[in-house]
Amino acid sequence: MTSESTLFSNRWLPVLLVAPFMLLIVLFFYVPIFQAFYWSFFLEQPFGGGSMFVGLDNFARVLSDREFWQAGGRTLVFMVTASSLAVLIPLILAVAADRKIRLSLPARNVLVWPKGVAGASIGVVFAFVFNPFVGILAPLNKAFPGIWAPGIDGTDAFITLIAAHVWSGIPFNFVILLAGLQSIPRTMQQAAAMDGAGPWRRIFDVQLPLIMPQLFLTLVLEFTESVTSAFALIDTITHGGPGGATTLLVYKIYKDGFSGYDLSGAATQTAILMVFVILLTAAQFVFLGRRINYER
Amino acid sequence: MIENARSLNIAASVILLAGMLYILGPLYLTLATASQSYEFLLRNGLAWYPGDQFFNNAARIFTETRIPIQMLNSLAVAFSLAIATCILSFLSAYAIVYFRIRWAGVAFALILATIMLPVDIRVITTYQVASNVFSPVNALLDVTGLNGLIAKAFGAPVQLELSVLNTHFGLIAPLVAHGTGTFLFRQFFLTLPKDLFKAARMDGAGPVRFMFDILLPLSRTSFAALFVLTFLSGWIQYLWPLVASSTPDMQTAVVGLARLLPDSDGEVPDFPMIMAGAVIVSLVPLLMIALLQRYLVQGLVLSEK
Repeated sequence: MTSESTLFSNRWLPVLLVAPFMLLIVLFFYVPIFQAFYWSFFLEQPFGGGSMFVGLDNFARVLSDREFWQAGGRTLVFMVTASSLAVLIPLILAVAADRKIRLSLPARNVLVWPKGVAGASIGVVFAFVFNPFVGILAPLNKAFPGIWAPGIDGTDAFITLIAAHVWSGIPFNFVILLAGLQSIPRTMQQAAAMDGAGPWRRIFDVQLPLIMPQLFLTLVLEFTESVTSAFALIDTITHGGPGGATTLLVYKIYKDGFSGYDLSGAATQTAILMVFVILLTAAQFVFLGRRINYER
Repeated sequence: MIENARSLNIAASVILLAGMLYILGPLYLTLATASQSYEFLLRNGLAWYPGDQFFNNAARIFTETRIPIQMLNSLAVAFSLAIATCILSFLSAYAIVYFRIRWAGVAFALILATIMLPVDIRVITTYQVASNVFSPVNALLDVTGLNGLIAKAFGAPVQLELSVLNTHFGLIAPLVAHGTGTFLFRQFFLTLPKDLFKAARMDGAGPVRFMFDILLPLSRTSFAALFVLTFLSGWIQYLWPLVASSTPDMQTAVVGLARLLPDSDGEVPDFPMIMAGAVIVSLVPLLMIALLQRYLVQGLVLSEK
C-alpha cells in the first residue's frame, strides 16, 4: 500500500470492529424478521408445543378476519391524520420561530421538551387531562351531558390519541424543519425581497420549496413513527377501546400475541405490517423523493 | 430584518405562544394536580392552581409503589443503551469509512435497514428470540443436519437454551440493534478532510492509533449528541420493556407509571398521586434536555443528514 491511499487495507481488523454490532443486529433484528415471515406459514403452538406447515392458511385466516381489516383501516386513518398534523404544526411553528422575534428563543427551548416525556407518560397525562369526569372538558360535560365521552365515543378517543401523538412528535420535526429554514442563505431572501416579494409570498415561494428535503424526511419518518409509536398512547389512554375504536394494528398484534397466544396470527399480521411499512417507505422515495431538488 | 413586517411578526408571535401553550399546558396541569390532594380532585376536578400536597404525593410514590427501584432500572437501561450504542456505532462506522473492504456498502445497508422497522413492529418474534438467544443456532444445526450427526454420535441433539428475558441485558440488547448511531458517525467521518488521514499515515499512525488519537478526540461532540439522543430514547421506551420484563422489580419507570392507571373506567383514579409519579419519572430526561439541549438539537439534526 502506498502512503497516498486514503484507506487502511487491513483485512481482519474491520471485521473485528463490525462483528459485535452485526451480531446484535442479526440476532435481534434479522432473525426476528425472518421468524415472523417463517411463522406466518406455520401453525405455532404456544409454550413450544411444536409447529405444523400450513402454507397460506394463516394469511387466509387473517385476511378474512373483519377485525384485521378494521384495525388496518384505523391504522391508515391514524397514519394520515396524525402524521400530517404532526408535520404541519411543527412546520408552522418552525416558520414562526425562524423570524427574529423575541419569543423565538424561548419557543425553541420549550418546543424540544416533549422529547424527554415518554409516550406512555404523556399518555397517562392526557388520560387525565381529557378525563370526562375530572379533566378540562368536564365543565363542558356538565353543561351538555355526553358531549365529551372518550370512554363511549370512538371519535373522542381517537381525537385524544391524535392530540397526544402530535404533542410528542413536535420536537423532532420542529428541530429538523427549523434547521432546514436556517440553512437557507439570507441572500436568497434578500434577493426575493428586492424583486418585490413580500414576506408572506417569500414563505411560500422561497422558504417552503427550499426545505422540501427536510419536509420529505419528516414525512417519511413520521409515517413509520405513527404506525408504531401509537402503542404506548393506546395502552395508556384508551386500551384499544371503546369497542375497539382505537385498536390499531400494533395494538392488535400485541393483544393477539401476548394475551391471545395466537402466535401464528400475530406473526402473520406482523409480516403484513412490515411489508406495508417497507412498501410505504419505498413508495415515498419513488414518488416524492424524485421530485425533490436537493441542490441549493 | 429585510423589511418591516409587523403583521407577520405579530402572527408569528401568536403562533409561537399557542405552540408553547400546547406543550406547557399539559405539563402545568400535571404539576398543579400533583400538588393537590385526592379529595380536592374529587371536589373540584382538575386543578388550575398548585396546592401544597406535592411532597405528600411524591412520598407516597416512593413508599407505596415500585417506582424508585424502577427508576434505577430506567437509569441502568438508558445509560448502558447510550454507552453501548456510542461504542458499537463508532467502531462499525470507523470500519465502514476508513478501511478498503468490499463489503462496506452491504454492511452499511444492513445496519441502516434497522431504522425502518422499529422494535415495536417486530415485538412478537423479538420476544421469542430473547426467550432463547440460541434458538437461531439450534435451528441452524437442525437445518444443516449437523444435529442429526451429533445425535448419532453423542446420543442427543444439541439444544442450547438461554433466556435473556427479565434481565437488564435483554431489556437493552434489542434496542442497541439500531442504525442511527452508525449513520451519524459515518456522516461525520465523511465531512472530515482527507488530508487528516494522509498526514496521520505519513506520521506512521496505524489504524488503532489513528482511531484513538485522532478520530476519537475529534468525535467528542458527535458522541455527546448521540449519547443524549439514545439515553432519552432508552428512558422513554415502553413496549419492549413492558414485554421483556415479567416482574415489577425489573420493569422500567415508564412502564411502572403506566401500571398505576387502573384498567377499568370505574371510579376516579388517584390522579394526584399518578401525576406526581409522572413528574418524578419525567424529571431525569427533562433535566437532561434542559442542561444538554445543545447536544440534543445537534443530535436530532445530525441523525437526519
